[in-house]
Amino acid sequence: MLYYEIKKVFSRTINRAVLVVLAVVLAAATVMALRLTYWVNDAGESEYGIGAIQKMAEAQHAWAGPLTEERIAEVLEENARINRSPQAQSEDIQQNDIAYGWGQGIAGIRDLINCSFSPFYQYDYYAADALTAADAADFYGNRMVRLEEWLSTKTFSDAEEQYLAEKYNELETPLNYDYVGSWDGFFQGVVTVQMFLAMLLGFLVSGIFSGEIQTKADAVFFAAQHGRGKAIRAKLLAGFCIVSVLYWVVFLVYTVLVLGWTGFMGADCMLQVLEWRSFYNITIGQEYWLVAFGGYLGCLFLSSLAMLVSAKTHSTVLAALVSFVAVFIPSFLANQIDRPLMDKIVGLLPDQLLQLHFLTSRFKLYSVGGTVVGSAILLFVLYTALTLLLQPALYASFRRQEVR
Amino acid sequence: MELTLAQVSKTFEQNAAVDAVSYTMRNGVYGLLGVNGAGKTTLMRMICTLMKPTSGVITWNGRDIWKLDAEYRRVLGYLPQEFGFYPDFTAEEYLLYIASIKGLRPAAARQRVDELLHTVGMERVRKKKMKKFSGGMKRRIGIAQAMLNDPEILVLDEPTVGLDPNERIRFRNLISELSSRRLVLLSTHIVSDVESIANDILLMKDGRIVRSGTPRQLVAGMPVRVWRCRVPKQEEAAYAKRYRIANIKMTAAGTELRILSEQPPCAQAVQEDVTLEDVFLYHFGETGGERNAVL
Repeated sequence: MLYYEIKKVFSRTINRAVLVVLAVVLAAATVMALRLTYWVNDAGESEYGIGAIQKMAEAQHAWAGPLTEERIAEVLEENARINRSPQAQSEDIQQNDIAYGWGQGIAGIRDLINCSFSPFYQYDYYAADALTAADAADFYGNRMVRLEEWLSTKTFSDAEEQYLAEKYNELETPLNYDYVGSWDGFFQGVVTVQMFLAMLLGFLVSGIFSGEIQTKADAVFFAAQHGRGKAIRAKLLAGFCIVSVLYWVVFLVYTVLVLGWTGFMGADCMLQVLEWRSFYNITIGQEYWLVAFGGYLGCLFLSSLAMLVSAKTHSTVLAALVSFVAVFIPSFLANQIDRPLMDKIVGLLPDQLLQLHFLTSRFKLYSVGGTVVGSAILLFVLYTALTLLLQPALYASFRRQEVR
Repeated sequence: MELTLAQVSKTFEQNAAVDAVSYTMRNGVYGLLGVNGAGKTTLMRMICTLMKPTSGVITWNGRDIWKLDAEYRRVLGYLPQEFGFYPDFTAEEYLLYIASIKGLRPAAARQRVDELLHTVGMERVRKKKMKKFSGGMKRRIGIAQAMLNDPEILVLDEPTVGLDPNERIRFRNLISELSSRRLVLLSTHIVSDVESIANDILLMKDGRIVRSGTPRQLVAGMPVRVWRCRVPKQEEAAYAKRYRIANIKMTAAGTELRILSEQPPCAQAVQEDVTLEDVFLYHFGETGGERNAVL
């Protein structure tokens, strides 16, 4: 039964075309992610591609290790040394680029210093240039100071402020540093991959139920022994298998294509090496799985919702629209309406599961029964429950169908 | 083996498509005869658990078919009037899929599909996609799917619609072959489809069974007689107004009418044997059935 249900989906030409679109999206997102990193060679020229990524990884990996005050001071001194060089001081851009190339090894740590010494939620690219080795002592302390300054301008409750302060204090320092540039590229591109996956997988499964009615095959289907039982479960399972297999294949291929070249370097670094302000005290490797399973849950939920609409309305078009609407409308709403309540509601819509990496660098908090939680955690609980609830609802809805 | 309908009704927005139908069927071929819109399809869909009756109950061997659920559908085969299928499936794939939802194990399904493709004469096109099939070929696959589980109840809704005369005869013979050892309920608005193969015929009109019995009983129970009259062409319309005309035949000597009437409609009227078509016309009027079936 399962085999034929899957075959029904992929026997449609338009659904086979969706697979081609998925492959194109995967290729485009991979290229986009890989192009984010470039290497400036000794001649001051930019290089792109796998070779450039590997050179950058090698240069920054040389600075890997605990990010102590001494290491910060060392980076600030190195930065100052480069800035004092004739090439950096030169009026010739080519010479400036050569000087820039020398600083690529410390660029990752320099970025963190810029974050630490910039006002909260701002980024001053030249902040590090104004510092001396003596300022290294403030590197970690600034994080809490900047948070408190920022919180004083916002409307968080006392419990929420306390929660954030606790999370900031819980972060173990010194952070362990390594090259995380590939992860940055990966997380930038993965949102595109996951959004397309959600829309296209929703499209693929949108005809699983309505197709029976539209082809008028429902009469034979429901008159069969398992037509109101196992055969419906096979449809649900087919939807689950299509979403699961395609999601993980695309996600893992994207992972290998983007991260494979640097051997997943930096996976054990804390997320703050990549997202300095984040209050989620997890490693980048854990962030990867959070993003992976968040996207998977989002795709499963939206596909289940599409199947429910398909079963209820008998319209493949309406069902296919579900994922598109769910992905685009919240972004539109968020940009149009600036009210705290709306912001809270929009923050819980399913599209948020497809951009978990962005969520982990923002301060979206919810109070549930007096307990403050980050939206990333709440989304997991909420949508796991909703996805599980949708399955029996979908089964019961289709089982009760009458053929007219 | 007994399928019983007890006061079964189905109402759509206050219109009764089926109105308090009670009937019991056992082994044999039952022809459900009625004009389009008489409620045949609705009744059959209820028998096939595709619709729930608004009131009344349908039982199989004394048990409610909705409570029997899958156990009942295990013995059911159904060919709907509008036979839908999956256009990109081959005939073989389609039958194997239906076999799976009918609970046949893969090995048994393969064997049964082979047998039925042979029975319906579709072996040579088993690998061809169904969207490329003619109406007759689709109907043959339709009957094959209905027979996959060797059903005790075979429900065929207008199975000859869209078939040419040759295909219609072949189909009738096929149904006749399949009818042993099971209950076959066949609906049609074409008298000749059931006349020769049905043991019992149910005449359905406005959601009710208005008459039932063997073809011979229905003919014998006809309350009017059938006459043949030859009349001038210009009087044809006047006769048509006064009587039910079963057939009009143009001859060199005038128009020959086949008339349903208690009394001889004209002086030289010759009484003829009553046929099932006459019974059909009597109950359903001139609009009943396809014109070819009456002529």
